[in-house]
Amino acid sequence: MSERDPLSFEVLRPASGPDQHGRRRMHPLTPLIQGVRWLPAMIVAAITLPAQLELTVGTGMLLAAAAGVVIVAVLAVGWNFLQWQRMYFWFDEDGDLRVDSGVLQKQERRVQLSRLQSVDVMQPLLARLAGLAEVRIEVAGAGDSRQSLQFLTLAEANALRNEVIARSAGVRHDAEEAPEQLLAAVPAGDLVVSLLLRAETFFLLLATVAVIATTVLSAGSVGLLLLFLGGVPIFQVFNQFSRYYDFQVADSPDGLRLRHGLLQRTRQTVPPGRVQAVGFVQPFLWRRKGWVRVRLNVAGVASGNQGSGDQSYTENVLLPVAPWPVALAIVARVLPGVDIPAVPLLSAPDRSRRRAWIQWRRLAVGWDDAVVVTRRGRVTEHWDVVPHARTQSVRVTQGPWQRSLGLASVHIDSTPGAVRPIALHRDAGEARDLAQAQADRAAAARAADRSLRWAASPQPLDPAGGVAPGTPDSVPLPTPADEPAAGLPVEATADHPDAGPLEQ
Amino acid sequence: MTTPEGSAPAVPTRTVDQAFMPEGEPWQRVSPVLAKAYRIELVIGVGLGLVVVALLNLIPDMPRVVPLVLAAALLVALVWIWIVIGRRVRSWGYAEREDDLLVTSGILFRRLVIVPYGRMQLVDLTAGPLHRALGITTVQLHTAAATTDASIPGLTPEVAAGLRDRLARRGEQRSAGL
Repeated sequence: MSERDPLSFEVLRPASGPDQHGRRRMHPLTPLIQGVRWLPAMIVAAITLPAQLELTVGTGMLLAAAAGVVIVAVLAVGWNFLQWQRMYFWFDEDGDLRVDSGVLQKQERRVQLSRLQSVDVMQPLLARLAGLAEVRIEVAGAGDSRQSLQFLTLAEANALRNEVIARSAGVRHDAEEAPEQLLAAVPAGDLVVSLLLRAETFFLLLATVAVIATTVLSAGSVGLLLLFLGGVPIFQVFNQFSRYYDFQVADSPDGLRLRHGLLQRTRQTVPPGRVQAVGFVQPFLWRRKGWVRVRLNVAGVASGNQGSGDQSYTENVLLPVAPWPVALAIVARVLPGVDIPAVPLLSAPDRSRRRAWIQWRRLAVGWDDAVVVTRRGRVTEHWDVVPHARTQSVRVTQGPWQRSLGLASVHIDSTPGAVRPIALHRDAGEARDLAQAQADRAAAARAADRSLRWAASPQPLDPAGGVAPGTPDSVPLPTPADEPAAGLPVEATADHPDAGPLEQ
Repeated sequence: MTTPEGSAPAVPTRTVDQAFMPEGEPWQRVSPVLAKAYRIELVIGVGLGLVVVALLNLIPDMPRVVPLVLAAALLVALVWIWIVIGRRVRSWGYAEREDDLLVTSGILFRRLVIVPYGRMQLVDLTAGPLHRALGITTVQLHTAAATTDASIPGLTPEVAAGLRDRLARRGEQRSAGL
């Protein structure tokens, strides 16, 4: 934290303190940075549009373009200034974060910190130069569950991050930042080699050559210039490198901390118990090196459109590249008490070869007391792990081809994300039993799960913020005696907040 | 089409139907009115298709045979899907068990979903204009996983409302955060 960032000038003083209502504002430089962010894109547009329309470029034209850029920039900064002026945040008496914003349409938002999933402190390049940072808070919930706060000075952002995490954990919110212990750091050399050894890189290179060739043939060298301004497919690899450069994983009582980025620095915090699923990916060419990539599903952090712009990139990477033992050691911190290699695996039946010629030998599923593990993929191997307590639903599916072979697949549904565990091509009857057994294990694990409040102190300051979401307020209706009532153990934890296994 | 060559070890331990609709569960079927709704939708769809095919005739130099073949294909599809809809609707089933809800459906692509009550986040009741006119409703369950996909179409409004209330009550009793 105290380490000096060579790219940051750190000249700014913190934003003004809270007003008479205890509300705070973003840093006054925010509108400028938000407005200027569009400048490169606008300049590119100002260059490319006339070229595309094949207009002759004269002095008047240049002046008009420059004036247009300036006007748009001023308007953007002005609009962002209005937004900044109307944006406040504070913590209410229940300990939840409140954010008021909106120029034309007022928005009052209450971020329920008991449902916190992760907190990121991000520094896009421009903000980083100015020593500012953005705080992104993810809570569990349908739809737009992300609250972004742009921008605060880095020190303020880190302080806010600590306060959010402390309040959500139910510990004193003026507590010191929890100490951390560095678990792993990815060397830049390994990152480069790992990116080069991915088949994706090869295809991107091919695509780039094809795009450049067609552009040069059709539009000449002007087209080439435009192409480089707009980006070629191979830039994706540079993006990946830049995103995961200097990747560090640290452990602290308030969760796993991930830090990475060459130009845009990101500090991500995933509190314990928030990890819904873990996936290991091993591309074919990494096998000799014994490397894997580790991904996470975290509720509320939507995934999907990876690689398209910094906003939407949310493939949650726990480790971009690491040797198996390191990856397993770190995953053991995320899922305490889980020994993945020790989980006995059951292979898919031999006749699955007729459905999956290449990968059938690698198809397997296994479970122990805590997790279910699926394995698939011959060329790129996937190991997906879901704790029983995080299983959402279980599905058995069967297509016509599988049906003719008496096979079926079992899906273990997790929250949206890159990790999608599936036990492919099992015997149909076995699949059905597997699904039922998994549902039963999930029910038992849910009943015993206590990881929602990981650091509840004996006297929590804000009990409202500390109660597990969904804990029934009312007395559960009478349930049949033979059924283990899932609600009861959760209540027991509420009565004895220090009874649950603490993570540290 | 690949078929098993009848070799002994390849025989599944259970029949496929039992795997997707196991016996001993309180299976409920959906209303046959759903087939009617699907068939009306089918006829409307094919009707629109035929209109488009008829418009093809207005294109100059279009060989006569093209619209005829397309129209014939549409009518064959109509008859075939008309028949399949009956089986498709009969394939839907759901069972409310002690701790979870089972939903099964599909002929060509079969599925069985097990949704624990404690994992349900929302229960939606929806009905489009046609379904409303016929008096049927769809109950859709949502969990924190987007892939859960547990919807039960073709329930009468009373059955649907009763199911929703029971699901909501059980969900509350067993709710377990994330």
